Amino acid sequence: MIARLAISAAAIGLFTCTAGFAASDRSEPKTHTVTIEEMRFQPERLTVARGDTIVWVNKDLVPHTATSETGRFDSQTIQTAKSWKFTARTKGEFAYICSFHPTMKAMLNVK
Amino acid sequence: MRISFSVVALAGVLFLHAPTVSAQDVNDAQIASIVVTANQVDIDAGKLATSKSTNDDIKAFARLMVTDHTAVNKSATDLASKLKVTPQDNATSQSLKADGEKHITHLKTLKGAAFDKAYIDREVAYHQQVIDALDKTLIPGATNGELKALLLKVRPAFVAHLEHAKRLQASAGERD
Repeated sequence: MIARLAISAAAIGLFTCTAGFAASDRSEPKTHTVTIEEMRFQPERLTVARGDTIVWVNKDLVPHTATSETGRFDSQTIQTAKSWKFTARTKGEFAYICSFHPTMKAMLNVK
Repeated sequence: MRISFSVVALAGVLFLHAPTVSAQDVNDAQIASIVVTANQVDIDAGKLATSKSTNDDIKAFARLMVTDHTAVNKSATDLASKLKVTPQDNATSQSLKADGEKHITHLKTLKGAAFDKAYIDREVAYHQQVIDALDKTLIPGATNGELKALLLKVRPAFVAHLEHAKRLQASAGERD
């Protein structure tokens, strides 16, 4: 009886440890902000985890877009004082631009 | 020390054909008028190029000029009305307007590659002139903090437009 209790207790302890490990290993998705200001994406290079959400906020006086050069994402027009969000599901490095202003380039790295 | 700027000097920055007027300071109401007129001149040229150019890149650039300069003008007029400043006509804004109309008249006589070249050459020169005016006269001359902040906020858009126009100018040169 004592032996069975000990095994059960050990099993519960193991389960608890496993559950605890899993929870800390798989962190909650985060939200990152890219500010569009002075005709630049800030930060120009952003690294996120799969499942994270990126919010582009347009603080310029003119409309912009956040458009992946490979077609992975495209905000369409983001008007002044508006934002657009995208949840990254695929790993990779995604170069993106403002399709209106070809001088505006940035990189989204999804790990 | 108060920095003093003359309308004549500013007109010289923007135009070679500035009228000769007595020197006077550029005040915030005059700066507002210059900003609004400078944007409107480029909007008008952009509208013409949107309808008249046959080059897709030039048309896209022209549409962008209409969109962006309209947005800048809305911010400028919103701020002027908030500050209760009535844009004040002056020698520089008058020259801008007259020169812009002359340019439009000239563009209307052209077509095809000649039109595109005249339009984009002028866009390069115009944006460079406005950036110079912002740096040398308009930004340092603005006394109201919000007006100065607006001019500073507008400047990067003009720089991006200049770079964009230069690229189109270079690619047009390669096609010749």
